[in-house]
Amino acid sequence: MAKEYSVVGKRVPQIDAFEKVTGQLRYGGDISIPGMLHAKVLRSPYAHAKVVKIDTSKAEALPGVAAVITYKDCPNKDWICPAFNWQGPVIGEIVRYIGDEVAAVAAINEKTAEEALDLIDVEYEPMPAVFDIVEAMKPDAVQVRPDGNMRYPNIFEWGNLEKGFNESDFIIEHETHLGQQQHAPLDRNACITTWTKGRVTLWTASQSIFWCRSAVADYFDLPLNKVRIISAPIGGSFGFWWQNNFMFIALLLSKMSGKPVRLELTREEVFSTVKRRELPITFIKIGAKNSGELKALSIKHLFDNGAYGNKFDPYQTVADMYRVENGRFESIGVSTNLLTAGCMRGVGDFSVGYAIEVVIDMVAEKLGMDPVKFRLKNHFQTGDVLHTSQEYMFQKFMFDRDIPVRLTSSGLAECLTKGAEAIGWKDKWQGWGKPVAVDGTRRRGIGVAISTHISGLAFFGFNGAIVKINSDGSVHFVTGVGRSGQGADTTQAQIVAEVLGISLEDIVVTTGDTDISPPTMATVGSTSMHMVSRATKRAAEDAKLQVLNLASKRLGVAPEELDIKNRKIFVKKEPERGIMLKALLSQPLQEHLCAPVIVGSSSEGFPYDQSGKMMMAHFAEVEVDTKTGKVKVLKYVAAHDSGTIVNPAICENQVHGGVFLGCGLGLSENLIFDKSTGMILNPNFIDYKVLKALDLPDPEVIFEEVYDDAGAFGAKGIGEGTSCGCCPALANAVYNAIGVRIDPPLHPEKILRALSKL
Amino acid sequence: MEKIINLTVNGKPHKLAVKPNTTLAELLRNELELKGTKIACDIGACGSCTVLLDGKAVKSCSILAPQVEGRNIVTIEGLANGDQLHPIQESFIRNHGFQCGFCTPGMILCAKALLDENPNPSEYEVREAIGGHICRCGTYPNIVKSILDAAKVMRGK
Repeated sequence: MAKEYSVVGKRVPQIDAFEKVTGQLRYGGDISIPGMLHAKVLRSPYAHAKVVKIDTSKAEALPGVAAVITYKDCPNKDWICPAFNWQGPVIGEIVRYIGDEVAAVAAINEKTAEEALDLIDVEYEPMPAVFDIVEAMKPDAVQVRPDGNMRYPNIFEWGNLEKGFNESDFIIEHETHLGQQQHAPLDRNACITTWTKGRVTLWTASQSIFWCRSAVADYFDLPLNKVRIISAPIGGSFGFWWQNNFMFIALLLSKMSGKPVRLELTREEVFSTVKRRELPITFIKIGAKNSGELKALSIKHLFDNGAYGNKFDPYQTVADMYRVENGRFESIGVSTNLLTAGCMRGVGDFSVGYAIEVVIDMVAEKLGMDPVKFRLKNHFQTGDVLHTSQEYMFQKFMFDRDIPVRLTSSGLAECLTKGAEAIGWKDKWQGWGKPVAVDGTRRRGIGVAISTHISGLAFFGFNGAIVKINSDGSVHFVTGVGRSGQGADTTQAQIVAEVLGISLEDIVVTTGDTDISPPTMATVGSTSMHMVSRATKRAAEDAKLQVLNLASKRLGVAPEELDIKNRKIFVKKEPERGIMLKALLSQPLQEHLCAPVIVGSSSEGFPYDQSGKMMMAHFAEVEVDTKTGKVKVLKYVAAHDSGTIVNPAICENQVHGGVFLGCGLGLSENLIFDKSTGMILNPNFIDYKVLKALDLPDPEVIFEEVYDDAGAFGAKGIGEGTSCGCCPALANAVYNAIGVRIDPPLHPEKILRALSKL
Repeated sequence: MEKIINLTVNGKPHKLAVKPNTTLAELLRNELELKGTKIACDIGACGSCTVLLDGKAVKSCSILAPQVEGRNIVTIEGLANGDQLHPIQESFIRNHGFQCGFCTPGMILCAKALLDENPNPSEYEVREAIGGHICRCGTYPNIVKSILDAAKVMRGK
């Protein structure tokens, strides 16, 4: 498929490669504007307290201080983050986690701002706090939020669950937990804000500039066109850089001082005051027949929202990755007096998916069936109804409609088969209860996990795109895609180049400015390639048609008989006959006495049920040293169906990245909260252990390119799904090695305790 | 109380007055507007602030300005010759050795220090050299590839 194309399918470098290797790319923290003030934030030392008294007079009197804000200076309302990742006051009278904002200062430099913080007198009335999800659900629990600790349970049901369990030959019940992961990007959150005559500008780095604009406009009661978000590229996001509370603090300081205000978070603040992955607890009850048919599946998924998260659903793509006649999926978001939790790479497919893949292994084991074969027999397939899909949920929720949504395309079977071959499954799998090999204290095991993920959702919004062709044939492509390393600007430009028959070098991409960019879906949920591309392609086609219409008059041939390749418009039946793009566009037209201008554009939404899902099958081979408890990954295979791969180099990097991140939680990442105070004990890169170059073998990447009809050039998304298979593949492999089921992170200490060695 | 520091950065001499507790990273970013050097973890645990100090890769966030009096510093901005990129930079582009690019200056300078000392490293030696660098985007496989390929080019192969 990809072989037919000129630019699509090619391993082209990112369009900002030069800037990246020369250090010239400007990230959010690299920007400065003249006359800007510097802000610092005073944060609560208590997990839950009332601010009884706050006196900022001494801080305000310090020379060099321009503005000080407390809860008294904030509008008496919440700001709301789209996708329910945050709801609360910017600064409240009640503080809800250690690190929660209490006051903020803008001064001529950071040092003065810090000194001013010390001059703010605060009297706190500490309150009891709750840190555990299960505790927080009890009726007499400490209430974190005025509207209670539990978001309304989100329930999907299909078939007849009771009947399904009654018809099962056996039932397995299991509970899973995961360690506490955090996005931990290298870049540090920063922003500069200005507020002049009712016009607000926020320079920052954000995946979701239009969501950001909406949240700001809504909170400050400003028209959308008076709020401008300008986004720099992000130094790694994974769900971190959306709209965050510190941006609102800077805006309030700008409003009060009348000056630009810069607020940059320290590394400790980045770790402890922005966001983390939701901590999940999943209860699964599954019923199956001895034949291997799944009859009933019931999942109850609890997850931590932290202090200000507001999700009611973890955002699983589906909880029914397998064909099960009867099922129920229930999720409840629970508030705690800890750092806000929200979306992180993989979301519900990562957390719920982990639980499902462990339990599926347990079913296969009970049947004595090879886990790859079991998955091949039972996984969901193209055309199947997706009982628990986001699309189904939203159409029901928003429009009270009950129309089934089906899986549009899937290469899952091929991913399983090819991945199994690549890891050497046939030779290595010895059967249940038997490790791959034993060598003294070292035991080898092998594990598999499937996963799926959305490639964006129609629900995220309409997309606009603009393609401008200059008189010399050079092109401007204007979009709103976010840039956090996934090269969305590059791959969108590849689509434009392919449609227009030009080279990638002919295109300059403008993105990241809500005044200039047409509204674009937030760059979340692996949206850009499958969703945004459709608008991009239409805008390019619109520009192309304008060009062909012009050429048609010049060449005396109908536009349908023309095409463009290598910057030349040519007659399809006589390819030698044509005209160069530059020659056509630079020529003045007789009726206008000047050269034409080409502006192609589009703005569209997508049918909510025409939404491809990416498919993944991950395989891990591990070696567990039962003496030290250390888990070493020997081999890792990641097989992906993301439709047509528009840029194999970018996509391989995405898979590598997801594997390092997913295996990070699998092996060593864990943000640790002190059980009695709720304080984060390891908010730094020494004690929060992300994986580095010596920690994993290079994952082998396999692409199974199943053309998806809804995607531009058949493409689906890839980014988020890359991390979902890691934890279950590793956990299943460790089980195969040592015969004990352990939830990640698979620390040596946990391994040794599980083996009763500690 | 500010201190006068004399140092050479990317071949140019500078005389700067800074507070003695200013780190080299802060000096480069704030006094000389060289933003390619990043302050990410600020405790020497990630490598994003890597610069070359008399040819050796160091973590500039953990060095105080007075310590570099009279010394020679090369930042990422000093590697290319105008538009003519260093072979390591070209290799990173050719081999897709970055995603978000935040760790890239540090990785490239680490590679330079390695290859200046060991022009023919093994794959393990490359991994070990960058072993203290964090790439949260997880681009390690292509970073290693980029460095090995650069080594090949620089050896004239």
